[in-house]
Amino acid sequence: MAERQIASPASQKIYSLNLGPQHPSTHGVLRILLDLDGEFIVKADPVIGYGHRGHEKMGENRIYKQFLPNTSRMDYLSGMIFNHGFALAVEKLIGIEVPERAKYIRVIASELNRISSHLLWFGTYLMDLGGFTPFLYAFDDREHILDILDSVSGSRLTYSYCRFGGVCRDVDAAFIDMTRAFLKRMAGRWADYDNLVTKNIIFINRTRDVGIIDRELSRQYGVTGPNLRACGIGYDVRKAEPYEVYDRFDFEVPTGSKGDALDRYDVRFKEMQQSCRIIDQALDHLPGGPYLSKVPQKLVPPKGEVYFAFESARGLTAYYLVSDGSTSPYRCHIRVPSFGNLNVLNEVLPETMVADAISILGSIDVVIPEIDR
Amino acid sequence: MKVQEIERVILEKLPDTIFKRDETGKTGSSWSAVVAASGIRDAAKAFETSGFFLEDIMALDFQDTFELVYHFNCYEPGSRVVVRVLFGHDQVPPSICDIFRGAGWLEREVHDFFGISFSGNPDLRPLLLPEDADYHPLRKDFGKVSAYRKREDIYG
Repeated sequence: MAERQIASPASQKIYSLNLGPQHPSTHGVLRILLDLDGEFIVKADPVIGYGHRGHEKMGENRIYKQFLPNTSRMDYLSGMIFNHGFALAVEKLIGIEVPERAKYIRVIASELNRISSHLLWFGTYLMDLGGFTPFLYAFDDREHILDILDSVSGSRLTYSYCRFGGVCRDVDAAFIDMTRAFLKRMAGRWADYDNLVTKNIIFINRTRDVGIIDRELSRQYGVTGPNLRACGIGYDVRKAEPYEVYDRFDFEVPTGSKGDALDRYDVRFKEMQQSCRIIDQALDHLPGGPYLSKVPQKLVPPKGEVYFAFESARGLTAYYLVSDGSTSPYRCHIRVPSFGNLNVLNEVLPETMVADAISILGSIDVVIPEIDR
Repeated sequence: MKVQEIERVILEKLPDTIFKRDETGKTGSSWSAVVAASGIRDAAKAFETSGFFLEDIMALDFQDTFELVYHFNCYEPGSRVVVRVLFGHDQVPPSICDIFRGAGWLEREVHDFFGISFSGNPDLRPLLLPEDADYHPLRKDFGKVSAYRKREDIYG
């Protein structure tokens, strides 16, 4: 982090800069009001809500099945994971059994989605920092995942692939071959990325000691996901409260130490490799049998509530459903990780330089429509 | 385990707290406690000093009451804990934004959607709704509503 060069500036004037809402580096419609003292940020006030669609209100006015497509439209980069989480939440509320095969398919699809989300972050973050080449490589790799998921769900971004009690379409030999080929391709890719980016001195200078989010700050703001793990707390919902079949796989939770942008990069980078490990194991043990259990068309859950937490690409996500015994929920609330991850910028951005603000914002990996809901 | 520790601390500070343990694991939390609106600050302080983080604040609108649901969690497996506050539609609960600094935005969101003011929160500008919004969409008297129930209809 740069020290302030001038102890007493020539002019005391504070400038206001409107960053966004339509700026390429804000990744969605985020506006940050910055008060500047020269190149240094004095105060940062994120303004959100441009993409508010009222998903929670929609949830109250739809039957459970009708809300399923909504779920992949919140965090559009990890739509499959959100989909998966909602299916699990409703299954828990009603008590639906899911066939073993469907569980494995869901995990494979979710982890593929996690890699695609991280790859997009990787590409765009490096582009924010001025490197155009990694962007092209990352999008090339990501295209393979989109093809794989497209072949089973029929969609490239908003999948709606999970159903209550399974998935909507079985995977075939072609899917397994494509996924295996992708894993093989990625195994050779990590070294390329390492050489191209991780050891790049310009990249290191732009990220090391920039935007430190330490343990205390993370706790105060409820920061979760890779941003939390970057400061050394190995908290991952997949390990802490294993859902689906995650407890059957051997994978590690990568952690950093300081919690600066470089650590956050490292954690995500290693997470992609761990996701590959999970997919590999899931493919090895993929059982046969049905992929969708018989579930009534009209679901009527019992009275009560369910709070279901899962790990999306950005951190701890949860659905809170309160049922009054009718066909639609009385209250449908979604806890999104980017909310806390962005909120913390109120304290991280002050005292940094404007150029670093772009680096910090990119390293936090927020998806604005997820916050706006 | 911090969960057992915090239960003891809460009981000491707020003896009238009603605990409800979740044996089925359905609610995703190890227990939930109903505290009085005046006790939420004490409870939040106890969670803060014990190393918990505030996962979420959420509100529910019932015919007879508002309900605030606070989810606390720490970085240990199965440590999620729920604190509930029940208060009338005309009452104002205290803010905890000086105890957990991230609570400010969560309270702003609740204020947006339910019109619940938090005493002590200096910044209740609309967060997700437009700046001039004077409506509260998730209240059960706004827009299309399928049912407006009493709390006992659901929680018994």
